[in-house]
Amino acid sequence: MINLTSWLDYGFMRNALIAILIITPLFGVLGTMIVNKKMAYFSDALGHSALTGIAVGVILGVTDTTLSMVIFAIVFALLLNKISSMNTASTDTIISVFSSCAVAIGLAILSRGGNFSKYSGILVGDVLSITPGEIWLLVVIFAVTFLFWGVAFNMLNAISIHKTLAKSKGIPVKLIENLFAVLIALIVMLSIKWVGILIINALLILPAASSRNIASNMREYHLFAVIFSMFSGIVGLIVSFYANVATGPMIVILASIIYFLTFLYNRKAGK
Amino acid sequence: MKNKYVFVLVMLVGLLVASLGLTTIYVGSTQQPQEDEKLHIVTSFYPMYIAAMNVVGDTENVELTNLSEPQTGCLHDFQLTPADMQLLSEADAFIINGGGVESFMEDVASAYPNLVIINASEHLDLLTEDEEHEDEETHEEHDHGEEPESGEHVHDHGDVNAHAWMSVEMYRGQVQAIAQGLAELDPEHEQSYLDHAAQYDVKLAELQSEQEEIASMVSGQSVILFHEAYEYVAGDYGLNVALVMDLDEERQVSAGEVAQVLEEIDEHGVTCILAEELYGQKMAQTVQKSADIRVLYLDTLNRGDYDPDSYLTGMHHNLELMRQLAETED
Repeated sequence: MINLTSWLDYGFMRNALIAILIITPLFGVLGTMIVNKKMAYFSDALGHSALTGIAVGVILGVTDTTLSMVIFAIVFALLLNKISSMNTASTDTIISVFSSCAVAIGLAILSRGGNFSKYSGILVGDVLSITPGEIWLLVVIFAVTFLFWGVAFNMLNAISIHKTLAKSKGIPVKLIENLFAVLIALIVMLSIKWVGILIINALLILPAASSRNIASNMREYHLFAVIFSMFSGIVGLIVSFYANVATGPMIVILASIIYFLTFLYNRKAGK
Repeated sequence: MKNKYVFVLVMLVGLLVASLGLTTIYVGSTQQPQEDEKLHIVTSFYPMYIAAMNVVGDTENVELTNLSEPQTGCLHDFQLTPADMQLLSEADAFIINGGGVESFMEDVASAYPNLVIINASEHLDLLTEDEEHEDEETHEEHDHGEEPESGEHVHDHGDVNAHAWMSVEMYRGQVQAIAQGLAELDPEHEQSYLDHAAQYDVKLAELQSEQEEIASMVSGQSVILFHEAYEYVAGDYGLNVALVMDLDEERQVSAGEVAQVLEEIDEHGVTCILAEELYGQKMAQTVQKSADIRVLYLDTLNRGDYDPDSYLTGMHHNLELMRQLAETED
């Protein structure tokens, strides 16, 4: 029988737990709007841009690559928004171009001299890397997100339903969309080091998508998304500790199982 | 309406029970109960494990565990998992190769200040990067991620080449260092450690004299190395290193580098390329297509099975390969 509290004896596990308690509700809440606005691909591209952010930081000789990552991601997000609003090709195509371009630049720079192995950890993430300083940053982001949500949720929702109509109602569509993109960029960048580039998007999308399967109004949608997100986060962390696997993937596996179960439930109930 | 909440509750509870249950079963099946009076020694990776195995031998009440899997090879991008941290928290001593291979040592040392760390290379004079090819602009530094992933300059000279076990002489030093370290840690079995180390050293000395015999025949030849580790081999045999190209996991070779190898072959009259089978083969075959050159695939001795003699057999295999180099010279 395993001792179910022994994992709390380790400082890094306590840090990881706190970080997960803060970040998973955010993933859940933001995810609802990302799914609604069909921005899954957008947040995926943002995650990938982390590589480029690090690469730019390395070139400029910045010691703290988190900073260069965050700044690059914000620029990247705003640029993406700008170009997709010009509406020249389908948004999918534009995002794909940006995403591949960012990844290519990042890989080219980081693989210089065969040193990519040094950075490959970021692909899978490392839960041991959470520092108390980062937890404080997460707390700030947490507060900012909920403030933004309180003020702008209705506007965001209106935009996601009908952009032109929202504009005619006097909603600052551009501003709100840009703020939302910056917020996603911040959260993705601050959690990417321990979740990993390859799967960060799953954490944003899966809880909200599962919730959408069964929720019948906005309140339920948010509630279930947050519950699913936190549940998979905490259980994933504990399981990964005992089963000796990386934490990010474990969380995503649980979130995926929840998605499939809700999907089946929805089909059955919908009949 | 209410059904939904019941469903969510049942689903989450079910998942919780299932995942924790499966984990319990998994952990139960992999973890042997540990007796606490034993001395727990953890080694960082394969060559250290083999060395420690020979030093510990049949000493009683010592449990030797390797942190990484036997097939991990060098700890290039090794990430400590929570279970590794747990293993180290229960260990009495941690044997490392040093020289920056164990890039996670800082974390470990700060998390467990009481853990005794035996650095096998502590008293050895490791090769540094700038020693042999300071002017080799194209030589790509192969660092083991000693620095945190910050934007430090990739070419900062003076990095240590940590593959000391590739030199028999250095390896003998490492074995002695491990024996000394263990003897200090566990004075009760001091004699046992030292005896085992001495026995092992006899075999290693034999290997070294055999190596010197071949060295006398091949020294002075120019070679190209496809792995940084072979700098120690080149040192042992007195070979001139024309170019070092560090090919390993995740390393993409650019077309320019192939051209450069070919140029070096012409320029320095290179007689041989020393490459690693796993990562150097493609590049070596490409080069062989354009140039008539011998390629020897040496074992880097950093992966294999847990056979105490694996270092001896592996090194012997390398010796035989190097002998070919001597024979063609005649």
